[in-house]
Amino acid sequence: MLSRVADALFWMSRYLERADHVARAVNVTFQLDLDLHGVLANPVELEWNALVSLLKQPPPVQTGEHPVAAVQRWLLLDTANPASVMGCMNRARNNARSVRGSVSPQVWQELNKLHWRLTDTSLQARVADSPHDFCEEVQTGVLLFTGASEATLVHDEGWHFIQLGRYLERADKTLRIVDAKFALLERSGTVDLPISNLQWGAVLKNCAAYEAYQRLYISRVEPERVVEFLLTNADFPHSVRFCLGRVMQSLAAISGRPADRCDDDVSRVVGRLHGDLAYLDSETLEGERLHAFLGDAQARCARISQLLQQQYSLQ
Amino acid sequence: MTDEGVADPFAGYELGAAYDEMIAAGGKPRAHYRPLHDRLRGLDSDDLRRRKAMTDLSMRQDGVGFTVYRAEEGIERVWPMDPVPRIIPANEWRQIEAGLVQRVTAINLFLWDVYHDQRILRDGVVPPWLVLQGGFFRREFVGVNVPRRIYVHICGTDLIRDADGRYLVLEDNARTPSGVSYMLQNRKVLKRVFPALFNDYDVLPNDDYPAALLDVLQYIAPATSSQPTAVLLSPGIYNSAYFEHSFLAQRMGIELVEGRDLFIDNNRVFMRTTRGPRQVDVIYRRIDDDFLDPLTFRSDSALGVPGLVNAYRAGTVALANSIGTGIADDKGIYPFVPSMIHYYLGQDPILDNVETFRPEVPAERDHVLANLDKLVVKRVNESGGYGMLIGPASTQVQRDEFRELIRADPRDFIAQPTIQLSTHPTLVDGRLEGRHVDLRPFILCGERTIVTPGGLTRVALPKGSLVVNSSQGGGSKDTWVLADDRAT
Repeated sequence: MLSRVADALFWMSRYLERADHVARAVNVTFQLDLDLHGVLANPVELEWNALVSLLKQPPPVQTGEHPVAAVQRWLLLDTANPASVMGCMNRARNNARSVRGSVSPQVWQELNKLHWRLTDTSLQARVADSPHDFCEEVQTGVLLFTGASEATLVHDEGWHFIQLGRYLERADKTLRIVDAKFALLERSGTVDLPISNLQWGAVLKNCAAYEAYQRLYISRVEPERVVEFLLTNADFPHSVRFCLGRVMQSLAAISGRPADRCDDDVSRVVGRLHGDLAYLDSETLEGERLHAFLGDAQARCARISQLLQQQYSLQ
Repeated sequence: MTDEGVADPFAGYELGAAYDEMIAAGGKPRAHYRPLHDRLRGLDSDDLRRRKAMTDLSMRQDGVGFTVYRAEEGIERVWPMDPVPRIIPANEWRQIEAGLVQRVTAINLFLWDVYHDQRILRDGVVPPWLVLQGGFFRREFVGVNVPRRIYVHICGTDLIRDADGRYLVLEDNARTPSGVSYMLQNRKVLKRVFPALFNDYDVLPNDDYPAALLDVLQYIAPATSSQPTAVLLSPGIYNSAYFEHSFLAQRMGIELVEGRDLFIDNNRVFMRTTRGPRQVDVIYRRIDDDFLDPLTFRSDSALGVPGLVNAYRAGTVALANSIGTGIADDKGIYPFVPSMIHYYLGQDPILDNVETFRPEVPAERDHVLANLDKLVVKRVNESGGYGMLIGPASTQVQRDEFRELIRADPRDFIAQPTIQLSTHPTLVDGRLEGRHVDLRPFILCGERTIVTPGGLTRVALPKGSLVVNSSQGGGSKDTWVLADDRAT
């Protein structure tokens, strides 16, 4: 297939996944903020700033605007912010437009319908009250898009580039969420159990993993277990290991070789990181070693994107 | 609405000086429109509004947008479709079809002639300088043999009807005509929002167009390739017809490429794929000649492919349409198409031209300058409704400006009487009002020359407007050609 088409499919999918993560993070933080309001001195400071730093996009200060409203608007609606939901949506849609001939009408329509629902002014106006409806709309729309791609696209090279975009973005975001939460809790010192429960619960919810975790561990939300689950679980679609497994499969499918025979540069980096996660020591999940591991893993994800683009002459 | 039932959506329907497609003088519907007319009368304004809203929603969800060059923000507008179809009886269509085939056949013969022997110029049927100095004449292509001797593979001829209902050719779009995807989309949407309308009629399907186009592309492929690879070359997502490019590429199953996806190696065309270069045999190009190849034409073009023209000349790749077809739809050449039909085919034209004055002929110039307030003046090399003066709707300042322009360069203009394009009932806020329409049928020339039944009916949505172009407030309608002459 055309390199340009492969590139556009990759980024279409990656931006949608990103929009999904931002929407979920805002919604989860909004709910957490309501819970923590009574028990912490300054939850706004703590949680919203953590979110902003996680997304590495500080909002411009506007006079008279409530700081939380400003963060929400900046992360959801403001197209001046390339990482905002609308910023990602626009780029996902432009990429999809440039390859409309290469995706099924259903895939294009789900993306296009989502775009029109999100540009609805009354929906956008309600964000100031509660971001919930807007965020729900994003998440539902992305699920419909995913379903349409799964069910109506030929699972050929193009589809695998869509998979690569989705799973690389998801692996990277999960790593960042876990890393940022550790940093935040280190700064704020020890907290009561129920509050820790809430905060680590929010981490799970950020990764759409809360119910899955409960089913597996049947216990309180323990930080070590959360980290273990989100990094190393083999079967949960948001765990980093699962995502990298999918990346390996798609790389193999694209190159036309079995996954264990792929020895190109990008496959080697992916395979090593996947192996590290699959055979991770329990000590690595603690303290400084975890922090170092998370930083290194994020750098390797960035390297994977870079190699991928070189290998397939993506732009 | 009244208590007795449904208010007549045709109440107060005005018949003007123009021919109305549905309603005859005296207010009765024409025979072939009667079932549609009756059905529409049974609907109340809320129902009609709802159908219109469904139409708009369908168009928007399918992303049937077009780009307006002058708008900076929000590059897309959704193409408005009116859900009341236009109906063409079978006997009328047979005339149109025969007339279009005749016309495009003559145009292809003309193009081959002017790029080879130039007999028609030497015989004085068409003034030589008019062709040789025409802005779209590609002297670089004199003597070049194009595959199967076909220059125009895809033609979108604009027809209008005068006050007597006579079909006239307004212009031949022989370069890269667009609109065929809207023709197909309109049918798809109308079936979705107004299926009952189809019950009363036998409508010829138009869905075969993409398959027929692919046949043409494969027919002109270089003989060396047994499994030719065809692509559609688009300027990209910011082009006004991008929706159409992606739509057609998808329906044909071929790659939609941009200039940067292609490169030339040893006079052959390749596309860059994830598995390395792959040779291309046929290019359905939706880029104008000027932008096709920066080495031959405009050197500032970033849309084209350097070296493409030489590859075409070498015969390793086919282009549809060919290079240099613009001279045939130069408005300065248009007045001579009836003579071409006589000259090459020995036939009388089945479809007439609109009466046209050429200011470069002194007597005609005087007439044009004296009647600027009554005529439509067009630049010969402009399209899309740009660069024209509509006399009756113009101001003194505009007329003075055109008078100077015409005096300075008479070859650059033609003038035609202002024709009241036919009107068609069109939904306006839950009621029906007459709006002016034209018709663009699509003709494909390959092994055979075929005309897809129907075409794109464009409608000027502002009341009284005669400009149907999408860039100037036009919309469109589904266009039905009936299967037989049986009055239903």
